[in-house]
Amino acid sequence: MKLWLRMRRHDPERNSAEYVSGELSARARRWFEHHLLDCEDCWREVLLGRFGRRVAEDAHEPVPLGLRDRVRAAVLLSSTDPPSGAVG
Amino acid sequence: MREDHEEFLRATMGAMELVYNLARKFADRQEDAEDLVQETYLAAYRAWRDERRPRRVEPWIATICLNLGRSRYRNRLRRPSEVSIEEREVQAPRSADPERAAVAAMDRQALYEAMWRLPDGQRVAITLVDLAGFSTAEAARAMRTPRGTVLSRLHRGRRGLAVLLWDDVREVEER
Repeated sequence: MKLWLRMRRHDPERNSAEYVSGELSARARRWFEHHLLDCEDCWREVLLGRFGRRVAEDAHEPVPLGLRDRVRAAVLLSSTDPPSGAVG
Repeated sequence: MREDHEEFLRATMGAMELVYNLARKFADRQEDAEDLVQETYLAAYRAWRDERRPRRVEPWIATICLNLGRSRYRNRLRRPSEVSIEEREVQAPRSADPERAAVAAMDRQALYEAMWRLPDGQRVAITLVDLAGFSTAEAARAMRTPRGTVLSRLHRGRRGLAVLLWDDVREVEER
């Protein structure tokens, strides 16, 4: 079933998730944006979803100093091991 | 052999931020997350040497991290939320575009703690889609779950973060 047709089923959670994630086709997005004008439930879910996404994007942690070197060293060390398929 | 590991590192080191952030969603202690990252890279390297090389590195290495994280932390006691996020009433933000600056000015610790109060599945879905930029279809493959489940976890997780942090943002805005 085409996405925009499926969206005619009223599912604020799923529709909002797809909308906020930017995964709707142009046609489905137009339909949903029109629907948002009349539907308080979907509008509220979109606002919360959008705000939550912004917060999530900000909850990004930088890689600790030294971790890249530690991983490089571990990989280098294991490169001298025989491959797992090798008979030994 | 040497070229092999250099090629692997060239291809995968760019994904370390993703892997680390994913690992952090399993391990609340930084040292444990670092161990999980190292374990992920070693497992990925073994696969690489066995000629199991991916078309796209990020979803591949994220899946390895997810599988290792799941098996390592399967029996971990989950942190109960003091208040059910699903049931808590919240007033929706007034604006469709809450101040990014207000979010940016928030206490980082509050952000991380809010993430930890989400159920595991929601936290992982958010990390893959909102932090790593996966499509929900890619996240579904990595999480081995239907796309509809990912959409649901994603929305509930975002909603949970909004509910938990909305008061903090208003506090920052009012300063």
